[in-house]
This record gives sequence, C-alpha cells and structure tokens, in this order.
Amino acid sequence: MVSKEIHPLEMMIVAVSRLLRNGETVATGTLSPVPAAGCLLACRTHGPDIVPLIYGDPDSRISDGLYELFGLAQRGKVDVFFLSGIQIDQCGSINLSAIGDYAKPDLRLPGGAGSNMLYALSGRTILFSMNHDRRVFVPRVDFVNAAAFDEGVPSPWRRGGMSHAVTPLCVMRFDGERKRIVLESLLPGVSLGSVVGNTGFDLGIEGRDIPEMAPPADLELALLRTEVRDRMKRIYRLFAEMLWG
Amino acid sequence: MIGFLGSDYMKIRDDLRTVRDPYSGKEYVVVPPIIPDVAVVHALKGDRFGGLTTVSSREDRLLAMAARTTIAVVEEILEPDEVLPGLQEVYVAPLHVDAVVQASGGAHPTACPGRYPVDGEHIRTYLAAAKDEAAFRGYLDHYIFEPEDHSAYLRKVGFAGYGK
Repeated sequence: MVSKEIHPLEMMIVAVSRLLRNGETVATGTLSPVPAAGCLLACRTHGPDIVPLIYGDPDSRISDGLYELFGLAQRGKVDVFFLSGIQIDQCGSINLSAIGDYAKPDLRLPGGAGSNMLYALSGRTILFSMNHDRRVFVPRVDFVNAAAFDEGVPSPWRRGGMSHAVTPLCVMRFDGERKRIVLESLLPGVSLGSVVGNTGFDLGIEGRDIPEMAPPADLELALLRTEVRDRMKRIYRLFAEMLWG
Repeated sequence: MIGFLGSDYMKIRDDLRTVRDPYSGKEYVVVPPIIPDVAVVHALKGDRFGGLTTVSSREDRLLAMAARTTIAVVEEILEPDEVLPGLQEVYVAPLHVDAVVQASGGAHPTACPGRYPVDGEHIRTYLAAAKDEAAFRGYLDHYIFEPEDHSAYLRKVGFAGYGK
C-alpha cells in the first residue's frame, strides 16, 4: 500500500510529468532533479515513447558532451527543456546572474550558461522553482539572462519560449496573447490566497475559476517511489536520498 | 548566437557583437572563442603518449582541443592499444594532450562514472566548510595541505577505490 502522505516535491514531479506528451524529446539541464524525475515518471506512465535526455544520467546515451545537446536544440530536435531562476518575472524572463545592480550585486550567481539559446531554440520551455515566494516571482527580474519571447529586439528568429511554470504551490502557463504568466492550477491542498500572496505580480485570475490539479494517482506514486526513485539514485543521489531515504 | 538579443548580456558584455549573416542577410550576435591557457581533464584511461578515453557526457575532448596546453589526469595508464573507448566513452588523440598524470581516485570527491560514485558525505563536509573563511582554511589544511601525497589524501578521506 502506498503511503498517502505526499511530499510537495512529489506533487511537483507529478505536475511536471503530466505536462509532457508522449513522443517528445525532453531534455533537462544541470541542477534539475524535479524535471528529471518528472520526465522519468512520464516515461513510465503516459509517455513510453518520450526520449529523455537527462544531463548527468550515467545511463544516458550521448556521444560527445553537453554541446551535443546545444546542437540538438539548435537543430530543432529538443521539444521540451527546463529552466529555473533565482528570479522569474511576469513576462517569463529568468535571472541566473545577480540580485541587485549587476555592477554591485547583493548576490552574485553562477550565470546563465546556455539558457538564453535553449529558451529560444527548444520547442518549448517549462520553468520550475523549488520556492514560490515574492523574492522569486517578481514583476521584473534584476537581470535578464533569458527572455521568454522576442519583443522590440531585432532577433533573427526563435523557435520556442515559455509554456508552463511549476512550483510547490501551483502550475502557471504563459499566455501568448497577453505575453504574461497566468495561473493555471493549484497543487492539491494549496489555497488560491497563498499563491496570490506569494506572487509579486498579477496572475490573471480575475473572473476565472482556478482548478486544483488532480492528486497523484496510486500508480504515479507507486512508480515514483520505486522505479523512478531507483533511477534518480543513480542521477541525483543526494536529492533522492533527501526525498525518499 | 540566438537568444542574446533581448537579454541583459547585451548591456554588460562589450565583447558581444552583431554581424550580418551573408546567407540570410539577418543580424546575428556573435561571441569570441574561449581559448584556455590550460585545460585539466580527468580521463578513465590514458597511455604514455597522451591518448585518452573520457566520459562522453563531458566536454573533455572539446576542452583538450581548445586549450593551448592540456593536462590529463588518468585513473590508469595502459598500452596505447588498450586505450579504446567503451560504451559512453570518447577517445582523445595524443595530438591534443601535453601531459599525463596518473592518479587513481583523482576525481574524488566527485564521481568518475563507471569507476566510483560521488562521495556525498565528503561533498557535504566541503559545503559545510565552504560557508566561512576559517572553516574553509581548516578544510584545506586537513585534506589538501597535510596529506603528503595523493595516496595519503585518499587514505584520509576513506576512499574505497574501484567498485565502490
């Protein structure tokens, strides 16, 4: 019998899994245990034909390094990628570089790596954040490492952009018409008030009913806590031990 | 590079320029190449001429080919005919390698895929020590400066070796 006590990270993993479609090529980058687990769960539930490209997976078949993934994305062969940020703003821009003034930052971070190219050239990008509060979800990021769309810049072209964002509280999506992030669903047991109160911008909820995501099914939980856990122990050992012992 | 326009990199990186693509006529951001003075790569196997096999999920071959000088740290030194890439490994030709250093366990406390896993306990020790200057100096003294050589370091950290 599966324990019904569900960790918020497990809720996030299930939410990520359900956003992936069968047959997609799904890539996850560095420090992305929740997307990796979500991808592995999707492979074992509704997505047997998903092609997972999990960076750091010792069982993954890759011929020559991370730049092979970059090349794949540039050629349009990565359908879904995942990004995060210490700040995420209402336009879907992410900050991975600095809090405060870039020249005199309060906090200096490792930087954006290939995020701006991958945001532009993956088929779509799902943002994730392990925290949902007003420090992360801000009206405008202090530094734009990667933008969700091109506006007012003479960019030659782009393929993709933000599709969704998954946090411990909710699933958001990118509204392509308003060019803003809007709330899509609440994770089970989370109140609308706590999402609104912890988000630093308008989530476009006026006049809309915000559903609660269906709770993880017994099968999802069982797979998560056996097969997915075992694979995660080989990829993100410390995360897997923290979550599942 | 696609994706830089519209980011704040354009404000802080004066080495980013745009050029017109002679084929499409569109403006693209270009970046200068990075040419490391020295690259240090960790390889699974190596020979005395510098032939290596490394893990395919890393950029070791790219690094070795980009750097002015490349130093390879290898788990073991074998005859050249035995340094052949296995599954999920790549071969780096001696052309790109200037020096080979034999050091089993040389990737510790990180993993050497296929040989030994990450030492999570030691990483936690490192992270705790990295929080302040005094603790970090203590870490360096204890683990880096006090051991007289690499073997002594491995004994000190309790490295269990291959097949752990």
